[in-house]
Amino acid sequence: MKFRGFIYPTIGTLLLLCAWEAAGRNGMLGRTFPALSQVLRVFEDGPRGALLVRSTIATLGSAAEGFTTGALLGAAVAVLAHLVPPLRRGLDRMAVLVNALPVIALAPVLIITAGREGTPAALASVPVFFLLYTSTGVGLRGASERLEMMLLTLGASPWQRLTKFQAIAALPQVVTGMKVAAGSSMIGAIVGEWFGAPSGLGVVVLNSMENYQIPLLWATVIVIATITLSSYGLLTLGERAVRRRIGECDA
Amino acid sequence: MATLALSAVTRSFQRRNSAGKRESFVALGPLDVRIGDGEFVAVIGPSGCGKSTVLRLLAGLDTPSTGLVEINDRPPRELQAEQKLGIAFQEHALLPWRSVEGNLRLPFEVAGVPATPARIGELVALAGLKGFEHARPAELSGGMRQRVAIARALALHPKVLLLDEPFGALDAVTRRRMNFELERIWLESRPTTLLVTHSVEEAVVLADRIIVLTERPGRIRMDVRVPFARPRPAELVRSAEFHRLVDELTASLEPA
Repeated sequence: MKFRGFIYPTIGTLLLLCAWEAAGRNGMLGRTFPALSQVLRVFEDGPRGALLVRSTIATLGSAAEGFTTGALLGAAVAVLAHLVPPLRRGLDRMAVLVNALPVIALAPVLIITAGREGTPAALASVPVFFLLYTSTGVGLRGASERLEMMLLTLGASPWQRLTKFQAIAALPQVVTGMKVAAGSSMIGAIVGEWFGAPSGLGVVVLNSMENYQIPLLWATVIVIATITLSSYGLLTLGERAVRRRIGECDA
Repeated sequence: MATLALSAVTRSFQRRNSAGKRESFVALGPLDVRIGDGEFVAVIGPSGCGKSTVLRLLAGLDTPSTGLVEINDRPPRELQAEQKLGIAFQEHALLPWRSVEGNLRLPFEVAGVPATPARIGELVALAGLKGFEHARPAELSGGMRQRVAIARALALHPKVLLLDEPFGALDAVTRRRMNFELERIWLESRPTTLLVTHSVEEAVVLADRIIVLTERPGRIRMDVRVPFARPRPAELVRSAEFHRLVDELTASLEPA
């Protein structure tokens, strides 16, 4: 069973990659669809390889900064809404509003306020804030009623209930939120770079498109996809570990 | 010292009637109950008679619609805030990420009282779980979890112990054994205790006094003393007196 679960996706992926290579070599999908081998050669090429490394570091930095700020703010505001119920409706609406603004429409505003260099991180933080606000709130409110009553009868204060129980019970939800948010922060950072950032993968995407450097464009897309998929994979492992450690409250 | 008192207590809830309009209905009472210091009282009654509501009122988790609920002439919430209530529910309510010891430490942490290793050791022994100190709830049987929950309820030497169907989720054999275990544990400190249960036999094994509630709205149908001396031997459940009392109480549960 385990073997099959591993072998089928591997065969499928290899087949797809072979199809890519063949289609590129024959020029079946036009000149903008290069063969895989041609794309991979970009990574071996000194200057272009170095450009990708530099840009990856810049984008990862912005995404990580935006992710951290957005996640901390989102979780903190969710805790505030949880502890001060009168604030909750207002904060919920604010979070929905923030999420409803298209990232692309927000960017020009951020350019004016956060500057060209700060925009990628700022734009990365917006969807992360919303996702973490929502998932933390769901986690805090979803805590088992039985354990809630138990803590009440023990005489636990709201703060004790939060720190000894709700916050810990909410962790699996929080990590699930982070898992989804990681990809969003990459998108935010790359779109943010389109508005005049000095460096980054978003800049490379734009430049290679405008200068018709098709293999470089594809190579950049591969880098972005690899980062997004591995962050998702890593956080999936983290999520499993957290769920195992926390256990089921209603078991 | 703790005495529990319910004076002219009623509890009403809202529901929708057949026309879809909201109306309030009385689920419990009027009820007058007095429970003396160190007394072990069991409340039995048909489902939906409000016996769990009685317990929730005394735990400070609910407030009466009319009347007064007091522990030592004070509202239950005050005792709750002073960590003087011990409570165990039908489902064990242990923190799944904490070990047996970690769960037993919780009341001390909440109260800001140091949990000495000696006291935790005592509680582990009380629960009969030596060797399982570091096990997590998922690694314990239902009976073991429930013993941890009861030991935790007793951790701070509460004046009042409230038990809501504590063995309801266990099989009959384990349940019977746990009943005698509970008596042993209870005899060590004799807090004033209210036990809510479906099981007439459990009530007779454990209680000094049994209150039978009617169907909704729950009122007192019977209030009987259990004459057996403590500690109660396991053979008690095979005696004729035991069965006579169980039969009498079971008959009183039938709709009038």
